[in-house]
Amino acid sequence: MRNTSEHVLTRRISRRGFLASATALSIREARAAEPVTVASKIDTEGGLIGEIMLALLGAASISTRNRLQLGPTRIVRAAILSGAIDLYPEYTGNAAFFFAMDGDPVWKDARAGYERAKALDLERNKLVWLPPAPADNSWVIAMRADFADAHRLSTLDDFAGWTREGGAVKLAASAEFVESQSGLPAFQQTYGFSLDAGQLLVLSGGNTSATIKAAADTISGVNAAMAYGTDGALTALGLRALADTRHAQPVYAPAPVLRGAIMEAYPQIAALLAPAFALLDLDTLRRLNEKIAIEGREARLVARTFLQQHGLLA
Amino acid sequence: MSTADLAATRRTSRLALHDRVALVLALVAAAGSFGAFLSIAPNRLADGRPLTLWNVGLSQTAIVLALLVLVFMAAFIGDRTWRSGALFASGAGLLISMLLIAGTAAAAQLDPQEPARRIALGSAFWILFSVGVLACFQGLQHAARIWKALLSLALAAALIAIAASGELNSLSLAREFHAQRATFPTELLRHIGLVAAAVVVASFCAIPLVLAAVYRSGARSAIFTTLNLLQTIPSIALFGLLIAPLSFVAAHVSLAREIGIGGIGAAPALIALVLYGLLPLVRSADAGLRNVPANVQEAARGMGMNAQEIFWKVDLPLALPALVSGLRVVTVQSIGLAIVAALIGAGGLGTFVFQGIGEYALDLVLVGALPTILLAVAADALFQIVIANVRSRP
Repeated sequence: MRNTSEHVLTRRISRRGFLASATALSIREARAAEPVTVASKIDTEGGLIGEIMLALLGAASISTRNRLQLGPTRIVRAAILSGAIDLYPEYTGNAAFFFAMDGDPVWKDARAGYERAKALDLERNKLVWLPPAPADNSWVIAMRADFADAHRLSTLDDFAGWTREGGAVKLAASAEFVESQSGLPAFQQTYGFSLDAGQLLVLSGGNTSATIKAAADTISGVNAAMAYGTDGALTALGLRALADTRHAQPVYAPAPVLRGAIMEAYPQIAALLAPAFALLDLDTLRRLNEKIAIEGREARLVARTFLQQHGLLA
Repeated sequence: MSTADLAATRRTSRLALHDRVALVLALVAAAGSFGAFLSIAPNRLADGRPLTLWNVGLSQTAIVLALLVLVFMAAFIGDRTWRSGALFASGAGLLISMLLIAGTAAAAQLDPQEPARRIALGSAFWILFSVGVLACFQGLQHAARIWKALLSLALAAALIAIAASGELNSLSLAREFHAQRATFPTELLRHIGLVAAAVVVASFCAIPLVLAAVYRSGARSAIFTTLNLLQTIPSIALFGLLIAPLSFVAAHVSLAREIGIGGIGAAPALIALVLYGLLPLVRSADAGLRNVPANVQEAARGMGMNAQEIFWKVDLPLALPALVSGLRVVTVQSIGLAIVAALIGAGGLGTFVFQGIGEYALDLVLVGALPTILLAVAADALFQIVIANVRSRP
């Protein structure tokens, strides 16, 4: 209880300059502890990490508003920039996309990429990046294992060679993967191949369940799928990720991103989220995602059970 | 042909077809019943193996068979009351038995060894269920208004009671719904609120446009050309196109920012829905006002009414049914279109649709789509009642 009133106080002090010119209504607003609006992208992992954040904040008596599954990356990003949402999980590699610095090799280094994203967003947008999870959820291209065996494809070099020789590839991918410089274009430049519009099946969402399923069942002639390296669905449906031997991909480590004003009002959020994010390594994320997307368990329960198992939630 | 001949033919063909719709429904149901009734998949993403209705159990097969025969026979019943009664009874029976059979058959397929197993409704279920709905409609077609209302409400109550009893909880659809139960009420209200706001705002915006279109011949073609053009923009594109200008407004007008107008969320969704709503509203109001018979207006003028009185006392009352039917079109259209709003952060039932598409969980798509359909049907029925009352007024 004492804690909460302290934050309200800090918040009020930090807002004093603004309050001087504000109306009576906003003074009343500032006095009541404003809930923290927690959002996520419209995909499985966003829902999972979002629920983890909601549970941890709720356990610390910070009132929250649930806007999980808000929309694709651009929408969620626009929402936090405009102040419509306060906190959401973002991938370090996406900063390359936000700041139009796709060519910079810094994004391929987990530590340096995070530091760069953190510094840029704080300076330009007053957004705070808290320490990321030790996972790299970068994009991969996956193919049906039987198909890959038949054509002797195990690395992206094999894939590029096969495509150049006129191999009939049809790749299912999200619009973001196709458009973002660090997505398909990076693969194409690094490995020297190119796919035309007829060889792509572009889906608006960012979720890989649909692309993996399309490749697994060769829906609409699809035989390759955009996926995340750690997707539990890959092995479940008989797909194999092609090895990115030349490191075309930046590191995509999920990190909590929140507005500076919220960080000032609730400085304890950093310490609240850190232990849980430290546990979210590649294997753990894959396991938890699989529980939701494949086993069909409720994201909220998967998140809470995970936190309880590690003593982070009563 | 003489009357005697006619009577003779009628006597010889004792089995006369009296309701072609019922016959078609019975044949469609019979053909559809051979498809997968349930689909049993090892997990949420994998493909399922089909289970047909005829393999569910002997008594279930007998019940469905009897109901289908009843639909078929109803087509040949001469007496309209009996025919309608048989059709409604068989339709209602199909709806109730489909739900109960699906629920119990799904429960029997659950396996504690395989907790991820998913039992989804298959094509046979949906076809027979649709046939049941249509048979009910066909059966109620000639019924008095009060019977229509009472019987449909009773049937809806029965179906809701079955769903609420937990009888269907083993189905994948129910499990998806269960998983979303925390956010479902919020998103449903958000959806309804968005549609209601859009219809109200569109109605106010339509007033000056209608007046200009009807009473200023010069503005008419410009208004309709613009509104027609707006209607041709694909909905996803319009929702997306509004993000940039609204972000600009929010960034430069602090008042707009304070009241929550921004490039994402409710504001662009509302504007898009209003823009789409204008054409049906203006078109129906325009048609209603222009179709007021000239001699009625002349008579009013002869009685000494001025232009304003003619508008309020003659034109508007006569155009009222057209105005209300315009509102009906806009409401039903907005309920469907508001699904897309989820893509620009405005939430609503589309959240489940797009989340489901992304996860390739078709039952999650239905969690968003089915309530949307029900909302549209309910709104349509409500407006039909209003229109009937407006028309029947002297």
